Amino acid sequence: MPRLLSSALALRRDPRILKIPPYLSLLCILVGAVWLFLLPLNEYSRRTYISENALLPGQVHTYFGGSDQNVLRAYKQEVNSLVGKSNVEINDKLESIVKGLGLKTARQNFTYSAAGRTFEGENLYAILQAPRGDATEAIVLVAAWENVKHELNKNGVPLVLTLARYFKRWSLWSKDIIILLSPDSIAGPQAWVDAYHDAHDSSRVASLPIKSGALQGAIAIDYVQEHRFKSVHIVYDGVNGQLPNLDLINSVVNIAGGQMGMGVALQEMWNHNDKYPDRLRTMLRGMLKQGLGLASGPHSSFIPYHVDAVTLQPFGEGWQDEMAMGRVVEGTFRSLNNLLEHLHQSFFFYLLMHRERFVSIGTYLPSAMLVAANFTIMAIFLWMKSGQPEVPAASTPESSDKDAPTPTAERDLFLPLAVVALSGSLSVIPLYVFNHVPESALTPLFYLFLVINTLLPISISLTTTKLFSPTLQQYHLVKSFSLLLLGMFLSSLATLNFSLAMLIGLLSAPLSFVKPYSSPVSRIVGYVLLNLTSPPAVLLASAAIWGLNVGDILREAAVAWHVTGTTSAVVVWCVWWPAWLAGSVCVLGQPAGQEGKVKRA
Amino acid sequence: MKLFSLLLPAALLAAPSLAEHTSNWAVLVCTSRFWFNYRHLANVLSIYRTVKRLGIPDSQIILMLPDDMACNPRNAFPGTVYSNADRAVDLYGDNIEVDYRGYEVTVENFIRLLTDRVGDEMPRSKRLLTDDRSNILVYMTGHGGNEFLKFQDAEEIGAWDLADAFEQMWEKRRYHEILFMIDTCQANTMYSKLYSPNIIATGSSELDQSSYSHHADNDIGVAVIDRYTYYNLEFLESEVRDTSSKKTVGDLFDSYTYEKIHSHAGVRYDLFKGGAEEARRRLVTDFFGNVQNVEVDSGKGETNASFEEEMVRLSRTIAELHKRAEEQEAAERNATASAGAKTEKKQQTRKIQHVAKPLTDDNWWTKKIVGATALAGCAALWGLGSYLESVV
Repeated sequence: MPRLLSSALALRRDPRILKIPPYLSLLCILVGAVWLFLLPLNEYSRRTYISENALLPGQVHTYFGGSDQNVLRAYKQEVNSLVGKSNVEINDKLESIVKGLGLKTARQNFTYSAAGRTFEGENLYAILQAPRGDATEAIVLVAAWENVKHELNKNGVPLVLTLARYFKRWSLWSKDIIILLSPDSIAGPQAWVDAYHDAHDSSRVASLPIKSGALQGAIAIDYVQEHRFKSVHIVYDGVNGQLPNLDLINSVVNIAGGQMGMGVALQEMWNHNDKYPDRLRTMLRGMLKQGLGLASGPHSSFIPYHVDAVTLQPFGEGWQDEMAMGRVVEGTFRSLNNLLEHLHQSFFFYLLMHRERFVSIGTYLPSAMLVAANFTIMAIFLWMKSGQPEVPAASTPESSDKDAPTPTAERDLFLPLAVVALSGSLSVIPLYVFNHVPESALTPLFYLFLVINTLLPISISLTTTKLFSPTLQQYHLVKSFSLLLLGMFLSSLATLNFSLAMLIGLLSAPLSFVKPYSSPVSRIVGYVLLNLTSPPAVLLASAAIWGLNVGDILREAAVAWHVTGTTSAVVVWCVWWPAWLAGSVCVLGQPAGQEGKVKRA
Repeated sequence: MKLFSLLLPAALLAAPSLAEHTSNWAVLVCTSRFWFNYRHLANVLSIYRTVKRLGIPDSQIILMLPDDMACNPRNAFPGTVYSNADRAVDLYGDNIEVDYRGYEVTVENFIRLLTDRVGDEMPRSKRLLTDDRSNILVYMTGHGGNEFLKFQDAEEIGAWDLADAFEQMWEKRRYHEILFMIDTCQANTMYSKLYSPNIIATGSSELDQSSYSHHADNDIGVAVIDRYTYYNLEFLESEVRDTSSKKTVGDLFDSYTYEKIHSHAGVRYDLFKGGAEEARRRLVTDFFGNVQNVEVDSGKGETNASFEEEMVRLSRTIAELHKRAEEQEAAERNATASAGAKTEKKQQTRKIQHVAKPLTDDNWWTKKIVGATALAGCAALWGLGSYLESVV
């Protein structure tokens, strides 16, 4: 044992051991990336299943239909006559309808401002009190007047009204049913949910005059299509990449797909053949949405409050009508009604790749963790390396005595820490600016920032070289500290928002391998290449790929920041960007003096 | 011991009616609550209805229901419980007596009920007032596992707990025969540890087998009955129409097939006196019905005796007892005759207490002669006295 220990200690001093970490780090990234692509295979993913015994999806006959169809037609008439009217006028009419059903109604005003715009409106909601329930719990049925694409929810609103009338006739509800009719799909539901949980800023969002019990689940209907549909699209992404309990999605899949015989689609995969490419595409789309952390429908705002919610969108050409859609909601509500406690049995962290196939956190987390670990490995490696004398000692490693301490170079920490702290504190500027300038200024400001972003590392590098003439050791330490922070943030983030951690991890992977180049040509090439992976460059590239306007993306981000509290911007500007800045300074670094020895190092 | 073994067959021959039971009791236990376990309550209620149909009165049925499905807000048919999607029979009806409800259904209460270790405050309706001539049907249903049965969500009863409770009942002479029936997952493990005599046990499924539900009612929205209970009921409804049915327990057990129940139902006979053969001969109504024989105390074959004859017999018995006591006394005296002086003294003092004896007719002539002699003596004394006076 002691011999083993001493040989291990000797191994520590072996110069060959110091060559391993960069390769290990590369291996981590490659394994992490390959891991992701293995997930859609049958061997790594699992079939979905209902974990919660109480749900019993699809076990009830649904009776929505018959004369309710006439009621729906009448409501549709009423709703059509309201098109183009003001929010208050619409609510006046809808409130009289809902009141006529014998439900308690109330309204709520909200005003948000973001990117120089004002988002204001008035929510209308009604509470159907469970006839035999105890009013301690409630489930929510949401129909926004317009969906996230600002299309009128022409069928959704009348359907929700009809369902409210229909549900009123049943006596079997154990929970109150809340009908929420909001003017838009993001701000309205957000204001309402915030106020329901008394977490609202009362200067912008009014308090709710009436409330019911704890929310147990929410279903939003986004039914724009006027003709008969074929399948239901389940939108489940919440704010900041949070997801509803998998049992809720499974229940809807079970009811719509199994009981009603409709198709079910996820992540806008309108046709899914359950083969590897489609699974991978579904998964990557889900990851992208999760990574962006934006609200994807009226349901998104519910999820941060631990209220499991999905939006259902009928699509396609088929023979299913509004009544079928109503029955899906009826069946889902009957299942939610069966619940005895909050949905908790199934997964909250998962990646769906087909309506009946998923991977859970235990299977996918290692990939993001490996990518994050590569930064930590490199940080430790660079720290060790910085401790070694830059000129190898005259005595060769073979002759070094075991008892003699390893020669340690003194580390000059001030400059590296200052550079890392500077890049970290500078990150507050883009975060603040992009979230607070008016919409019109966003695009010019972005291009200005692009230029500044390109020049900033050069100016920092020139200034430090001129003032402090940093050594190679100091460059190593700059990189070490910045990678240490990056690895730490990303590994923590991976447990909260896997996709975002994975995306940032892969995009900043080159930072692990940059170093000060001695020749000016390779320095410039390195810098240009690194600039291609800078946050603004990536933003520009993705805007080009999806045919979007950079200004629109930034506006959405600002709106998400102010309305739904999306924190992806913090990760981009305060985690990724500083790391990139520190990496760029390293690439441009011209270590003082020892050009000849740098090559050896 | 030898004497006992000699006497036992004699007693059995002399009194065949002794081997039969004189009362029927049923302990029907559901151990799960919550709406999605509707079927377990329906299982128990349908067995409850069957034993009531076959004559066991509510006072002799202990019904344990941890939840109230009839009044659950989720119930589309308020106030009812059905065990079949045809909803022909409302099991909750208007004549139902639940003895233990809600959180009263615990392992402790169940074991206390069986062993009758209850406080004074426990009403008679909640006690199992059985004796050594009572046949008991114990039916349990809920969620079980290997050698345990979950009670509500907080606790569980183990197979050993159950076995020990039954043993205590046997020791306290609280039953004559028991039919133990259980419908849970891995039910057969629950009776594997029983070790008390006169128990027939049957369960729905083997180790590592689930017990499945039979069908769901799509308006109530839940499964309404388990397969094992369903087919037991089917047999009881179709074959045991009234208490005169001669169907045996063996017939009932033979009706279980894997095709019907979808698990391997088990039966255990080895605890029963006479083994499988004897156990299988028991009538279904011996446990599910209220058919019993009348046992008359010790007066077998004797006609009604008049009060006087009774009294004569009583006095004779008393005389006999006296005689026996005297004999015993005499024997005691003989035995202690050779004992030391001290003990003799004690014997004498004790004898003084015995002096006050009732007068008897014994030694009549002796006493007369003594009396005559005494009188003659007195006369002689008087004659002597008067002669001496005349002389002086």
